[in-house]
Amino acid sequence: MLKTILGGFTAALMLSSAANATDLIIYHNWSSGPEVAALNVLKAGLEAKGHTWTDIAIPHDTGSNVNLMNLVTGGTPPNVFLESSPGVYRDLAGLGLARPLTEFFTEQGILDHYPASVVSSITVDGEIMKVPTAIHIDGMAYYNMEVAEAAGVDPATWDSLDAMFADFQKVRDAGYIPLAIGGQQWQVGYLTHALAAATGGPEFYSALYGAEPDPSVLDSAEMRALLETLRRFQQEADEGSVNREWNVTTNMVITGQALMQIHGDWMKGEWTAAGKVAGTDFGCVQIPGAKAVPVTVDSWGILGGQPEEVDAAELDFAAVVADPQIQAEFASAKGSTPTRLDAPAEVLDACSVEVLHILENADHQVPNPHSTVDADWQNSIWDVVFNFWSDPSMSVDDAIAQIQENYDIILG
Amino acid sequence: MSQVSISERAAASGEMPVARSPYFVRKKKGITPRTVAILAFLTICALFFCVPLYVVVVTSFKTMDQIREGAIFSLPHIWTLEAWDHAWNRACSGIKCDGLKVGFWNSVFILFPSLILSISLAMVTGFALALWNVRWAGAFLFLLFICAFVPFQIIMYPLIVMTTTTKIYGTLWAVAVIHAVLAMPVLTLIFRNYYKDIPTEIMSAAMMDSGSFWRIFFEIIVPMSGNILIVVLILQITSIWNDYLIGVTFGGLTGQPMTVNLANLITISTGTTNYAHNMAAALLTAIPPLVVYFLVGKLFVQGVTAGAIKG
Repeated sequence: MLKTILGGFTAALMLSSAANATDLIIYHNWSSGPEVAALNVLKAGLEAKGHTWTDIAIPHDTGSNVNLMNLVTGGTPPNVFLESSPGVYRDLAGLGLARPLTEFFTEQGILDHYPASVVSSITVDGEIMKVPTAIHIDGMAYYNMEVAEAAGVDPATWDSLDAMFADFQKVRDAGYIPLAIGGQQWQVGYLTHALAAATGGPEFYSALYGAEPDPSVLDSAEMRALLETLRRFQQEADEGSVNREWNVTTNMVITGQALMQIHGDWMKGEWTAAGKVAGTDFGCVQIPGAKAVPVTVDSWGILGGQPEEVDAAELDFAAVVADPQIQAEFASAKGSTPTRLDAPAEVLDACSVEVLHILENADHQVPNPHSTVDADWQNSIWDVVFNFWSDPSMSVDDAIAQIQENYDIILG
Repeated sequence: MSQVSISERAAASGEMPVARSPYFVRKKKGITPRTVAILAFLTICALFFCVPLYVVVVTSFKTMDQIREGAIFSLPHIWTLEAWDHAWNRACSGIKCDGLKVGFWNSVFILFPSLILSISLAMVTGFALALWNVRWAGAFLFLLFICAFVPFQIIMYPLIVMTTTTKIYGTLWAVAVIHAVLAMPVLTLIFRNYYKDIPTEIMSAAMMDSGSFWRIFFEIIVPMSGNILIVVLILQITSIWNDYLIGVTFGGLTGQPMTVNLANLITISTGTTNYAHNMAAALLTAIPPLVVYFLVGKLFVQGVTAGAIKG
């Protein structure tokens, strides 16, 4: 009895004092300069609504995100968390702590302004669960304009991978490395799904990386084309490529040793950190002749089962993240692209404008596997393609046989 | 045995046993090709192991512009302490850019209670198990021995629930207590093995004089534990300071140790990397256990040879 009275009393106290100001605990893993600058844009927006931001940064990216679930188990869950993996949202739903946002987004009419791949990235089991905050394209070609000029090639005119490879000899003759590649497992994995979208198109891509992979495409013409293209890339890689970090690789292009790199377009951060300007020092194009581009969407989730005023504050946070002006400022601080097609273009750099232009076509984009696919399945593909990459004697047939075997074990 | 044979031989040949001729006559050797070869080999080995350290130290004094050039072995064009200053005072762990010093003090505040708790508990338990007639002592020791092999990850969730019910989850105390608890099996075994070699005569005499468990412990056992204390201290300081997993799991919002800050700074998947800052931060985090080794390293070896490894 006493307990209920006390409980009611504290609840009333909280209601009266926190009706308009609530402290939100924000969980993320961002610490680099541009990331912090971008977070501060969100923080300013949240504070403008009268709330406060308590920060907790823990390195995660474990796929299943053990640290986040530890905080939940320990009874100190954060209110807002940066998390893309659908598994975490299902776990939270099991604990009664999920907070579906479908209603919120449809009421505000925000969904119409998101590219198609963003909407599918933030949907878990038919409900919208995440607040998208930034877009990166997984396979973009960034090239050094000075080197391109010196070698007499123009990457913007390539309309197919063959046209690209055909120009490589020219680049080599001019004394540059044509294509800088970082040969680490995750980088090869990213290149693989970028190429799957580029060469195989959206249908093949979602059969391979969708929520429910279709085993019939594992031994298809598209799969063979994909693996053969991957082999081609591996053979074009320079000698130092083995196990090289992506940002070291990017710096080869920045310092003019190499013409270009094909990688996620978060590499723009390295370019801007080195004081280079998009459109004058470096250019960016999608993979030549791409049928579709994979889109990485960094998203926030918000905690369910909260008292009303906390829930309202969490929705305020979602509204801040989704605001077009804040989207544009966030993107230019982080070096990403806004999630909204209607973000004010004058704040954006040439590469983001190009990306938003590509994303206007709903059929030309697919979500990053991390936000849709079973983590085990994704890891098994990474294993096989990295073995394939590292061992030139491994044939396309071997790789396909291994992927099929993994399919039977994991999903069959 | 050998002495007998020497004197027998001496008697047989009719000579008197030689009084005190030294057993090991060391001839003063000049520098032979052999020593040169050994020295050269050892120098190369030392250099080989120092190369990574060299790269880390040198990089921490470079500017980012020079690092971008990619020559990792070159000396800095301009020596700058900027990276060290940044790592200590301004490095970001999330949106808070107060540097590693926050985590440093967290680590210190975790270290001391944890050391005191784990070592004092393990000492008393080891003493009781080694020198007193404790019921089920054998079974208890066996259980401890098994516990020493249970990986932390397996009992992580139960431990989280336990710290939550005791209301310490997410504080420095949780990290300190969990460290102490997890170290208990090994530390108890170490102390128990050390104490069981104390001659029974000392114990009998002590019993006659007072008989009190605590008096014997404080007046006889503790003063005799110097060597083993050094060993355990070094073991514990190193493992607590270098731990990441327990800190990240139980530190919650405010109790994260320095290693977690370091990981926040360094594990960046898609952001820009400043290698100078990373190297300086890594060195800063590594310095405290290194200092401990330099200060008491000699005593560590003494302690190990005096107790822990003695059959």
